[in-house]
Amino acid sequence: MRRALPKLAALSVLTAGAVLFSGGTALADTPVDEPDSFTSMFTVMATPDTVIGTNGQPAPGQPGATGTFNYRINSDEDVICYDLTLNGITGEYQSPARTATHIHEAAEGAAGPPRIAFPNPEGEGDTRTSSGCLQGPFTTGVMANGQDTGTGFTVRQIEENPSAFFGDTHTAEYSAGAVRGQLMAVPMGGVETGAGATEAGSTDAAPAALGAGALVAAAAAGAFALRRRAGRS
Amino acid sequence: MRLALALAGLVLLLAGCAGAAPDGPGRAAAPQAATTERVAADAVVPVSVRVPAIGVDEPEVLSLGVAPDGTAEVPQDYARVGWFDRTLSAQRAGATPADVPLPAGRGPTVLLGHVDSRRGPAVFFRLRDLRPGDVVEVGRSDGSVAGYAIERTEQVAKDTFPTFAVFGATATDVLRLVTCAGDFDRGARSYTDNLVVHAVRVR
Repeated sequence: MRRALPKLAALSVLTAGAVLFSGGTALADTPVDEPDSFTSMFTVMATPDTVIGTNGQPAPGQPGATGTFNYRINSDEDVICYDLTLNGITGEYQSPARTATHIHEAAEGAAGPPRIAFPNPEGEGDTRTSSGCLQGPFTTGVMANGQDTGTGFTVRQIEENPSAFFGDTHTAEYSAGAVRGQLMAVPMGGVETGAGATEAGSTDAAPAALGAGALVAAAAAGAFALRRRAGRS
Repeated sequence: MRLALALAGLVLLLAGCAGAAPDGPGRAAAPQAATTERVAADAVVPVSVRVPAIGVDEPEVLSLGVAPDGTAEVPQDYARVGWFDRTLSAQRAGATPADVPLPAGRGPTVLLGHVDSRRGPAVFFRLRDLRPGDVVEVGRSDGSVAGYAIERTEQVAKDTFPTFAVFGATATDVLRLVTCAGDFDRGARSYTDNLVVHAVRVR
């Protein structure tokens, strides 16, 4: 154990160095397997023109760069799965946080603290990607008011007000953010755009099944017409 | 048998596969408003749609959001087309439109319409007939018309619906039209699949 202590000290120095200079290490909160189900999903169109500096003033990011950040949340398990794609981002990542790719809490046009730090997207050429799932409690490596800015944060807070959060990534050249965008909820599952009267496209359905379907549809039609009128009044 | 069918019809009605029951379970209580009726900010949003190849000409499109059960809202009226308004959920939660602007010139624009009602074909019945190169014209709130060309059509199972491939943010201006397809599962009162038509901005 004693022999380990100097190593630990060295690690601390390294960590401090990372905080100051790179933030590019792939460390983040507890990586977990994808949960069986999700309670919500969000997407972000991250662009350079929406970046705000810590002083609250516009601080344009990298011209021509974009990010598409897709998040799937299970708020019962405090898990967030992420699929992050950056295009046109160049240079090294840099952030005082443990990584340089985050969800921050702030509305459009405002600056705010990071709540989750994701492993930075990596890849050859113009496109960089990062995917996985993290489970809270979350830590970002950034201290504010004597505690980590991830302290007390749960992904449920995103569900309660998604537009109060944004995704971004920071580089050495664009330390305030190379691209940024607010979270927007997207619907989950299939889209219920049919009621069955025509059984569209069911080329492999047996004629008998088609007949039964039409019969059920017919049975519903009368009552449905009433409902529809009521709905319009 | 007649009773059984009647009951089946009743269940179908109440559960509303097509989301037609305004007060049905899991559906938004908010009335559906056309984009033109929306208390709009300066954001440029779709207000009408024309698809000449399949005879669709809608002078108004509805604003649709995410239903309380997490699924996409669909038009209550089988004859109308809706647009997935990414700002609607936030607006209903109390945010002003200015707080949740749409990134200009970026996609996707997703249009949702029924393939059929319980009585016959609905507004997107012929969506399956669209072919690459066919044109979709989307009228917008600033008076401009955005032209899109069909690129491809895919049929996807609802239970593995590719959420982000349809609704996820895109850096370019793309359009997606969605309706139902596949077999009609009477037990689930729902089509098994969705038809997704992808189009790209051409003018």
